[in-house]
Amino acid sequence: MNAWQRRVGATLLLGLACIVLELTFHHIVPDTAYRNMLQLALVNVVIALSLNVINGMAGQFSIGHAGFVGVGAYTAAIVASNIHKSLGERTETFANSFYVMPPAILAAALVAALFGFVVGLPSLRLKGDYLAIVTLGFSEIFRLVIMTSPPGVEKEGIRATIAELGGPQGYSGPDRYGVAQYAGPFWLFGGVIVATIIAWRLKFCGWGRALRALREDEIAASAVGVDPTRYKVTSFVIAAMGAGAAGALWACMRDGNPSVQPDQFSFALSFDAITMVILGGSGSVSGAIFGGLFVTLTVKMIEQLQRLDAIEAFKLAHPDFDLNALRMVIYAVVLMVLMVMRPAGLFGESEITRFRKREPAKP
Amino acid sequence: MKTSHPTRPQPKTPDGEDLLTLKGLKVAYGGIKALKGIDLHVGRGEIVAMIGANGAGKTTTLKTIVRLLPMAEGSITFDGVDLSKLSVEEVVEAGISLVPEGRAIFGGLTVKENLELGAFNHKRRAEMAETIADVVGLFPRIGERMKQEAGTLSGGEQQMLAIGRALMARPSLLLLDEPSLGIAPKLVQQIFEAIAKIAETGTTILLVEQNTRLALKYARRAYVLRTGEIAMTGSTSELAQNEEIKAAYLGG
Repeated sequence: MNAWQRRVGATLLLGLACIVLELTFHHIVPDTAYRNMLQLALVNVVIALSLNVINGMAGQFSIGHAGFVGVGAYTAAIVASNIHKSLGERTETFANSFYVMPPAILAAALVAALFGFVVGLPSLRLKGDYLAIVTLGFSEIFRLVIMTSPPGVEKEGIRATIAELGGPQGYSGPDRYGVAQYAGPFWLFGGVIVATIIAWRLKFCGWGRALRALREDEIAASAVGVDPTRYKVTSFVIAAMGAGAAGALWACMRDGNPSVQPDQFSFALSFDAITMVILGGSGSVSGAIFGGLFVTLTVKMIEQLQRLDAIEAFKLAHPDFDLNALRMVIYAVVLMVLMVMRPAGLFGESEITRFRKREPAKP
Repeated sequence: MKTSHPTRPQPKTPDGEDLLTLKGLKVAYGGIKALKGIDLHVGRGEIVAMIGANGAGKTTTLKTIVRLLPMAEGSITFDGVDLSKLSVEEVVEAGISLVPEGRAIFGGLTVKENLELGAFNHKRRAEMAETIADVVGLFPRIGERMKQEAGTLSGGEQQMLAIGRALMARPSLLLLDEPSLGIAPKLVQQIFEAIAKIAETGTTILLVEQNTRLALKYARRAYVLRTGEIAMTGSTSELAQNEEIKAAYLGG
C-alpha cells in the first residue's frame, strides 16, 4: 500500500467509526447528562486545539478566545436554524444533518476568521500584555453588545438588528423554538479528528516550524526570512477559525442548550481554554486534547454529578455537604499541584508519539 | 559545498569587484547617532573584518545591512541592488545571511528544525538535504546532534549551528557577528577554520569580531570602527603592523 492508499483507507475507517458512534453513542452512554458532558468535552478539545495554535505555537497570549467561539456559535445557530426551518421537518435527522452542518460550520469558521483578521491585524504588532488586553476587549465587547440589546426595545437601526440575536435570553432560532441541534456524535467526533489532524500537520510543517521559531527569537526568525507580522496574523486567523468551528459544534450540539446565550462566552470560557492549553502543555497537540478532556471531565463533571440520584440522596442525608462549593477548590488544588510538579504542563511541548531525547549539554 | 542558491543565479558582480557597498551610512537610535557616515566595500570572494571596541557600531552596521534597523541616510548596494527598498525577507532572498550576535538559535526546536528554518526561502526537500549534508561536512558535531533540542548544545556548538543555519539559505554574502563570543578557545579555532573553508568555496564574508588577533589573521582587509566612524582601513597585514592598532587592540 502506498501512502495515498493508506491515507484514503484511514479516512474511510475514521469516517466509519464516526458513523458507528453516531448510531450507538446513546446506547454506550444512556444517561443524557453524561452524554452531554462528553459531547461538551469534545467541543472543548476543539477549542483547546485552536487556542493552542496562537498561545502555544505562536507564543502570543490571547485571553479572548471565547469571543471567537461566540461569534462561531451565533453564526452557526442562525445558519443551522434557518436551514432547518426551510427543510420543513420537525425532528433533526442524521441524513438532514449533512445539509445543515457543513454550511453552518463553514459559515461559523469564516465569520470567526474575519473577526480574527480584523482584531489580529492591528493588535499583533503589539506584544505580550497588550495583545492580551485587546483580545479580552474584543471578547467582552462581543458579549456585552449582545447582552445589552434586548429584543423589542428598539424598532429599527443597528440595535434592532442586534436585538434579533435575543439579547440576554439568547438566540433560539427564527421562530424561538430552539436552535436546530444537528451536531450529533458523528459531527463532534469528526470535528475533533479533523481539528487534531489539522493542528498536528500545522505544528510539524514548515509553517508551524516558522511560527515556533518566531516564538523562540523574533530577530533570528526574521533574519532567516520569516515575516513576523504575517505569520502572527495568519496563526491568529487560523485559531479564530478553529474557535468558530468549535462554537458551531457547541451551538448545534444534540441534547444541548436549545438557545445560544451571551453568558456562555464570558471570560470564564477563555480562562478555561487557557487552562486546558497550559495544563496539557503549551504547544503540544496531545496536551491540548488531554487538557480539553481533563478540564471538562473534572470541573464540569462535579457540576453534573450533583444531579445523580446517589449524590442527591447523600445530600439529603448530609445537608451540610456542598459539592458545588468544593468544585473550584478541587480545580485550584489540581492546577497548583500540576504547576509545581510540571511547570511546562503535562506534555511540555512534546507529543505522545514523539518524546524527544533530552541529552545533557556537553561543555 | 555549493555557495549559490539553486534557483538564484550567481551574483552578477564579477570576482574581485565590489559585491557590497555602503556609502555615507548613517543610523540613529532615537537621538543618539550610532553610525555617523560609514563608507565600506566588500569585494566578491573576500573576507573583510570590522574591528573596534564595544559600542563602535559594528553590530549596528550588520543589522542595518539586513534591514533589521532603519537607516537615516546613505546607501547600501548589494550586487547592483539598492537594499534600502527591500524588507528583511527580501534581503535574505537576495543572498545575504546574518549570523546574529549571541547565536540566537531557536532553543526549543531541534537542531534539524533549526537548519530547515534556515532554508526557509527555498524549501525543496532534495536541495535541503544536500545543503544539510554540506553543513554537516563542515561541522561534523552538528551532524551528531540532529535530533537534539538546540538549547541543549554547548555554546560553541550553538555557534556552529547558527552559522549552519545561515548557510542553509546558500548566501552569496555571509555576515558574521562576533562568532568567537563566549566560546571555548579550542572551538573558536574550529569555527574560524570553518569560516575560512566557507570563503574558499566562493562565499563572500563580512566579519565583526572583537578578537582582533583572530580577525586580522583570517581576513584579507579590515575596517577599524570608532564611535560610529571608520578610523582606519587597510589590508590586515598592514594593520597588524600599525603601532596604534597594536597598542589599542593587540595588547602591545
